[in-house]
Amino acid sequence: MSGSKPDILWSPHHVDRYVICDSELSLYRIESVGNSEAKAGALRLSEETTATLLAINSDTPYMKCVAWYPKHEPECLLAVGQANGRIVLTSLGQSHNSKCKDLMGKEFVPKHARQCNTLAWNPVDSNWLAAGLDKHRADFSVLIWDISSKFTPDASVTTDKIRLSAGDTDAGLVVTKPLYELGQNDACLSLCWLPRDQKLLLAGMHRNLAIFDLRNTSQKMFVNTKAIQGVTVDPHFHDRVASFFEGQVAIWDLRKFEKPVLTLTEQPKPLTKVAWCPTRTGLLATLTRDSNIIRLYDMQHTPTPIGDETEPTIIERNVQPCENHIASFAWHPSSQNRMVVVTPNRSMTDFTVFERISLAWSSTGSLMWACGRHLYECTEERNASSVEKDISTKMRQRAQSRYGHDTEQVWRNYLLAGGDDPQLKSLWYTLYFMKRYTEDLEQKPLVNKLPLVYSGIKNIVKSSSGTVESWCCWNGSDRQADVIRYHSDERCLALQLCGWIKRGPEIDVEPFLQSLEAEREWERAAAVALFNLDIRRSIQILNKGASAEKGDLNLNVVAMALSGYTDEKNSLWREMCSSLRLQLNNPHLCVMFAFLTSEPGSYDGVLYESSMAVRDRVAFACMFLSDSQLPRYIEKLASEMKEAGNLEGILLTGLTKDGVDLMESYVDRTGDVQTASFCMLKGSPGEVVKDSRVQCWIENYRNLLDAWRFWHKRAEFDIHRSKLDPSSKPLAQVFVSCNFCGKSISYSCSAMPHQGRGFSQYGVSGSPTKSKVTSCPGCRKPLPRCALCLMNMGTPVSSCPGAGKSDEKVDLSKDKKLAQLNNWFTWCHNCRHGGHTGHMLSWFRDHTECPVSACTCKCMQLDTTGNLVPLDTV
Amino acid sequence: MELHILEHSLKVASIAKEGIQFFTHGLIKLAFLPSKTRCKFFTLTETPEDYTIIVDEEGFKELPVSEFLSVAEATWLALNVVSGGGSSSSSQPIGVTKIAKSVIAPLADHNISVFMLSTYQTDFILVRERDLPLVMHTLSSEFTLLRVVNGEAVAANSLGVTNGFVKPKLVQRPVIHPLSSPSNMFCVTSLDPDTLPSVATILMDVMFYSSGVKESAAPSDDLEYIRFFSFSLIEGYVSLVMDEETQKRFPLNVLFTSASGELWKMVRIGGQPLGFDECGIVAQISESLAAADIPAYYISTFKFDHALVPEENIQSVIGALRTNEGGGQ
Repeated sequence: MSGSKPDILWSPHHVDRYVICDSELSLYRIESVGNSEAKAGALRLSEETTATLLAINSDTPYMKCVAWYPKHEPECLLAVGQANGRIVLTSLGQSHNSKCKDLMGKEFVPKHARQCNTLAWNPVDSNWLAAGLDKHRADFSVLIWDISSKFTPDASVTTDKIRLSAGDTDAGLVVTKPLYELGQNDACLSLCWLPRDQKLLLAGMHRNLAIFDLRNTSQKMFVNTKAIQGVTVDPHFHDRVASFFEGQVAIWDLRKFEKPVLTLTEQPKPLTKVAWCPTRTGLLATLTRDSNIIRLYDMQHTPTPIGDETEPTIIERNVQPCENHIASFAWHPSSQNRMVVVTPNRSMTDFTVFERISLAWSSTGSLMWACGRHLYECTEERNASSVEKDISTKMRQRAQSRYGHDTEQVWRNYLLAGGDDPQLKSLWYTLYFMKRYTEDLEQKPLVNKLPLVYSGIKNIVKSSSGTVESWCCWNGSDRQADVIRYHSDERCLALQLCGWIKRGPEIDVEPFLQSLEAEREWERAAAVALFNLDIRRSIQILNKGASAEKGDLNLNVVAMALSGYTDEKNSLWREMCSSLRLQLNNPHLCVMFAFLTSEPGSYDGVLYESSMAVRDRVAFACMFLSDSQLPRYIEKLASEMKEAGNLEGILLTGLTKDGVDLMESYVDRTGDVQTASFCMLKGSPGEVVKDSRVQCWIENYRNLLDAWRFWHKRAEFDIHRSKLDPSSKPLAQVFVSCNFCGKSISYSCSAMPHQGRGFSQYGVSGSPTKSKVTSCPGCRKPLPRCALCLMNMGTPVSSCPGAGKSDEKVDLSKDKKLAQLNNWFTWCHNCRHGGHTGHMLSWFRDHTECPVSACTCKCMQLDTTGNLVPLDTV
Repeated sequence: MELHILEHSLKVASIAKEGIQFFTHGLIKLAFLPSKTRCKFFTLTETPEDYTIIVDEEGFKELPVSEFLSVAEATWLALNVVSGGGSSSSSQPIGVTKIAKSVIAPLADHNISVFMLSTYQTDFILVRERDLPLVMHTLSSEFTLLRVVNGEAVAANSLGVTNGFVKPKLVQRPVIHPLSSPSNMFCVTSLDPDTLPSVATILMDVMFYSSGVKESAAPSDDLEYIRFFSFSLIEGYVSLVMDEETQKRFPLNVLFTSASGELWKMVRIGGQPLGFDECGIVAQISESLAAADIPAYYISTFKFDHALVPEENIQSVIGALRTNEGGGQ
């Protein structure tokens, strides 16, 4: 305020008034634009608000500080502290107020002149005005004046010694005797009354912060510090005080006054003002010299698990209310987060600090954000399909339906996944066929092709040898068909993996056709029959399809067309079929005619019909492509699948590195880490599982389950995983060791029978088995006692049936075999007290503190996740 | 009570009157442009004999080396008594009088030489840095000792050395140096540092051109008249000691005046330069004043000591000191 720098003060009771003080005092009224549009001389503060100058007071020169009377009446009474230490009461635009008149112009003069640094009205006893002055060797620096006191010439001071200047001698207007004098031979730079008690005054003295108690002025509480400027109490938390020194703000807790509870990051320039926001808890605004930004510190108390030692979370933010340097600012007393800033040339800006938005996205897809005092929940418009189509929703549903866990009928996992995804169907059938084949092999003594099955058809056909070519006949006729069919063990294996034929050397597609008929896949069945050169069966299937319930009558027409097949090269049938087949919608029907009309050895019409299932195309290729054509075709198809991330391609690549590549592009496309994890775990050779990408999918899937709180599902997954990939089994995490001998108490199970005998020999205890349970098997010393029941702990499970007790095991029912978890012992990692799990749980149902006497540890609260319930139980 | 040991390392120097022109640049910088130096402690006292400068090491760099500058060999530390924990309600014995019994007398008993500097705001007791252990030992019983480090007061670890220090000899201290009391009256005052620039020219005139003004303003043949002016700028606080005539040259409302507008008369101690080694001089004077409950300022300079006492008390002070003088001999 000194010189040209203006300060701003908000009226304590009129939310629309404030005073700007520099060399004079100016009272402004703030209004919204709508109300004052017509008025001349209104200053624009923001888009919505203007300020009107109501009054100017330039009666008081040498102003150093100003304080606004805290009570309603008289309104607009100001105390002005001057450079010579005098305090003058003055007012603005209140000439008619008679109550105010008595006080107007009243002066409070210290014995020795020096600068008045700060003023503070007592908020309760509003006659009391505290003034903080600079140092004088023989005077006090904190003077508390009673503004209602009358001037009474001090009898001890002889009149001739009082050399007041001429105007001051008006009796009743000058007061020289303060109510209290504090802080001798010290300087006071800042003051505030503490809301805890109306007689407590906090003062920033020369090198310390002091709390003066007016009930006993000989006592004061103080702490040596540099941070003594601008003391201010948090209006929302009366024990929290901020003060500053140069660029650093210190936050104090008056209950723990020895040192600042925290110091905020130092700013490069010296601070000029620090103020708590009156409308928002824990928000502190700071301003430095020559700066156009206001730095905000948002102090949030988050419940921290470990006692009081952790510092509160502080979020720092800068706001820039205007372009120019800011001289001062003042928070609006009631409007949330609003302030008015004033620049050195007195231009003012009305500014609202926008509240931080914190956003939280739940693992189940709902979105919430908090802004100020509002909490918004974002729900998607009822467009259910998009949510349901989302992979996270799908994975969640699939996890609940135990997708991936069927290790016997592996193909059933496709049904668990919802049964509507052809790629998943193909994948799980492939895995099923692979598993079935390996099981067949396991029954045979000769196990040489085991790795080959899982490496996919691509590798199987590469190793193909001893292919037999044969000209085939149409089934049921002797007519020579114009096609060559190839046979080999590998091709046979490939057909098995494609699901066309069952195990065994016979190439018999009839069971497959029947299963397709059962699934009403008439066209596909017809096509498969045709590829097996059985036109009659094919026609029969089509007829069946046409006559079946809701059957397509057009199938009869197709059957008719099929029956007209002739191998005459230039026939009308052939000509028409090869052109008209393209108009058929069903790809299977289309490829049937493509097959019949194609030249021997070139079946592109079939092989590149992309809407036909890969397994059918591959099976077809395995039957009709030569050893030179087949690998090329498979290679090409596999790389197409890999590119597209099509799971049908797993048939070709198997669970190899190629397969992981394919799965990678599938995961990139869909985000379905669940399928990827389960699929790759099936790769029993285990090489692929070690791939870092696979590990990444697995970890992500586990995290996902944890995020959904599907902890049981995660545990099941871990069990499932450790079965298929034993290397993932976690090491034992915890040992309970004996306090005396240091050995694990479950360690020496096998040694127990001897110990038991030892006990009975010495007659230490009646029942040897009992003593075993509650004492260390290593050194026989008792285990600790439960804090609640005071019995020695120990559970029968630690004496798990050893090898020698197998006869007992038989008659143990399941309940008895596993000891009750209630009997197991548990302990707090913080205070190290513990007891039986059941006792502890029941204790903490009603208590927060540890059951051990004089231990104040809040054991249960330390475990923040312990109170959450898994979502996947029931 | 707390005793703060301030962090300034001080030099005490004397500038001969005829050589003052070589130093004006540095002195003006130290006095009026505090933001241009890192000096935190600066005083300039003009006596008829010389200019005494007390300045910290940062400020000392501003002074040129010259034959006109003589520097006391030791480094000095400033001590400052703060009422600290309990704010005693009685404000009666002020200034040097207040600390006479608790600080000055014990130091004198231990043969520790002190250099006093009273300002408007407070009293500084300067002791040699090398005497600090003994000072701390002597005063630790009476005071909480705090050392100021980076502006923050921290507990000074008492050295715990008790042996090796000579037991104090408690003797009567007669006033041994001749006293004189000039006729002019003084005021001790201060001003708002913000207004310092507005009176800088007057202050410069007073500081450096006193001889010229004096000849015209006051009769030079007045033997009782003394030329004395002190300016200090310590940790941002300005303190001034000047005579009534000089005060009249300042505009109204710039200088701080106390409500009682008190004026002070001077007692000048020493017939010839006192030097820095003799101890007990301050004690001789202040103890007598304390006994009579008379407030006082005390300003030591390079050559002589000066005590300021309220004008109405000057006769009784002189009387008391003379009595003491007689008693000693």
